[in-house]
Amino acid sequence: MDVLAGWWDDYFWGAVVVGKVFFCSLALMIIFGLLGAMAKLSNSRVAQKIAGAYTVVFRGTPEILVVLLLYFGSAVVLTAIAQVFNPEIKFVDVPPFWAGTIAISIIVGSYATETFRGAFLGVHPGSIEAARALGMSDLQTFVYVRIPEMWRLALPPFGNHMLSLVKDTALISIIGLNETMFVAKQAITVTGKPFTMYIVVGAIYLGFSTVVTLFVMGAEKFGERTTVGAK
Amino acid sequence: MSFDLQLIVESLPVMLMGIGITFKLLVISGVLGLLLAICLLLMRISGLWYLNIPAQIYIYVFRGTPILVQIFIVYYGLPQFESVRESIFWPILREPTGCAILALSLNTGAYVSEILRGGVLGVDKGVLEAGSALGMSAHQKFIYITTPIATRLALPAYSNDVISLLKSTALASTITIADMTGIARTIVADTYAPYEIFISLAVVYMIFTFGLQKLFGIIEGYLGQYTKRE
Amino acid sequence: MSIPENRPLIQMQNVNKFFGDFQALKNVNLEVRKGERIVVCGPSGSGKSTMIRCINRLEEHTDGHIVIDGNTLTDKVKDINAVRREVGMVFQNFNLFPHMTIVKNLMIAQQLVRNTSKNDARETAMFYLERVKIPEQAQKYPIQLSGGQQQRVAIARALCMKPEIMLFDEPTSALDPEMINEVLEVMVDLAKEGMTMICVTHEMGFARSVADRIIFMDLGEIVEEAAPEEFFDNPKSERTKKFLSQILSH
Repeated sequence: MDVLAGWWDDYFWGAVVVGKVFFCSLALMIIFGLLGAMAKLSNSRVAQKIAGAYTVVFRGTPEILVVLLLYFGSAVVLTAIAQVFNPEIKFVDVPPFWAGTIAISIIVGSYATETFRGAFLGVHPGSIEAARALGMSDLQTFVYVRIPEMWRLALPPFGNHMLSLVKDTALISIIGLNETMFVAKQAITVTGKPFTMYIVVGAIYLGFSTVVTLFVMGAEKFGERTTVGAK
Repeated sequence: MSFDLQLIVESLPVMLMGIGITFKLLVISGVLGLLLAICLLLMRISGLWYLNIPAQIYIYVFRGTPILVQIFIVYYGLPQFESVRESIFWPILREPTGCAILALSLNTGAYVSEILRGGVLGVDKGVLEAGSALGMSAHQKFIYITTPIATRLALPAYSNDVISLLKSTALASTITIADMTGIARTIVADTYAPYEIFISLAVVYMIFTFGLQKLFGIIEGYLGQYTKRE
Repeated sequence: MSIPENRPLIQMQNVNKFFGDFQALKNVNLEVRKGERIVVCGPSGSGKSTMIRCINRLEEHTDGHIVIDGNTLTDKVKDINAVRREVGMVFQNFNLFPHMTIVKNLMIAQQLVRNTSKNDARETAMFYLERVKIPEQAQKYPIQLSGGQQQRVAIARALCMKPEIMLFDEPTSALDPEMINEVLEVMVDLAKEGMTMICVTHEMGFARSVADRIIFMDLGEIVEEAAPEEFFDNPKSERTKKFLSQILSH
């Protein structure tokens, strides 16, 4: 255990990075998911087709591939663009944090699209009709009727999406993100104890998973407090 | 910046050479994982706390940590122990392929056991009671009633997990295995053409996924014959 | 109608059943002789289903004794199986095995529990399928049959095990009205042949024409027991009278 002494700091900051990735990707995942769901539920055939392609592509492609593609691909694009302005530039790097965060948000967002779509469809039509009959505007109906019912329906699978985000963060270490896996790699070259170091990484991720799971359980209880027993 | 079709035409066959490894990883891990999942399931539903709790802990740990970490622990981590290096399993554990299969199996086993458990819980209690009333033993009910019905119920979620497993095989490339992704990364490193290579590879995976979905659709149709009213 | 013998097939003595704090059965005493046809009625929650489910151990009674044809009902698997071999049950929701054909539904328990050969099991199955008048459905799956047909299959399935006693738990309550009669007809035939049966039901016409005894239960207790004429024409308890007025008014 003393082999870990001196590495706790680095692991801590690595864990902070995991946390940062989580919150950024969570926000993006919700945006992508909602956009995708609304596109699928809209009347525009074009939007439906695009959203359809979105879900098929990103649910059928390995996550690591998307991360690599976004990272190297955006580097290539940005380098090309930069070379237009300054031919001296050899290579423009994209921060792994953003390449990775956006990549996993897009991927999990494609699953979230289906989840949100199902949840919106699950809202009782009767509630919507009642809101209309009472004279509420579309926006008011959306905010006060649709969303409250919809997030409760979406919560269990959404919890799984959040867990996916947590775990996919490890993939970003492959493109050099300085999170816990990366720390472990360095620690191993110094201490020669790969098992110990990676177990710590596993424990940190397990900790994050546990927190997310507890949060979801709490949110489910919160959601139930007004609906259980009302049926 | 143009899209180099020529490069794709040249590279695809090279990448497809890795399809054998991808397939091998998928099938062996899938089968071993399924066997593990059945063991875990039986432990979970046994009603015996000393089987149920360890199974729950196992599932919790393997579903709560990234598969990549699990792969690294097996491949990079296990050799830390002399007992591992001197065991009979060393020839397998020394090779990246063996490690990948082990890690993938352990991981998918955890997920699939929960999927199977969902199927078991979904069996209509009344139908099981009818079995009891007819005098069937718990053993007989599990084999002749629970298993056929639970299998059909679990199939959609199981097919999703197999597709996830397919995508996870790409992670084998991180421990030097020359599966399709591994080969692709080498090509990209040489050619600096990530779009052409990775996108065409993504298409290959999508076709593979589509094939799996169709396969499971056929199996679901066959198993679900008795659910059609006609 | 055949006349019941004197041999007690079912004896329930001082049976109590608790679900947690809730007492579903209070001091139930019941004796059923061979060949008797008993109808049990009462409001929902009165414990009627619980009582008959205790007889084949689908529920465990908390205290008291239950003896079926000489076999005392205990925790032991051997005792439970001995009882279940003698007792057939028909459920409100039919509970046919959805993944097996009709004939297989009737054969499987014979093969597994009585070790009957496949051919003998099939013969018995087809015999009872004809008894309930739907032999042509043998190769179909339950989902393809109507509710009334499914329930008749369920009765045949129980009969294939050649039970001494048949328990019916609201067999027609889940059926559309036009299908109730086809099931009641089968039950009347069974009764005429002298099958010992306990039937929980709201079908009072059936009770009046078939039952040797009608038992009224309320709040977990047996409130009144009498032969049909006496039960319907001269109910003794206020609760019985109230119940009868509620269900006989339409």
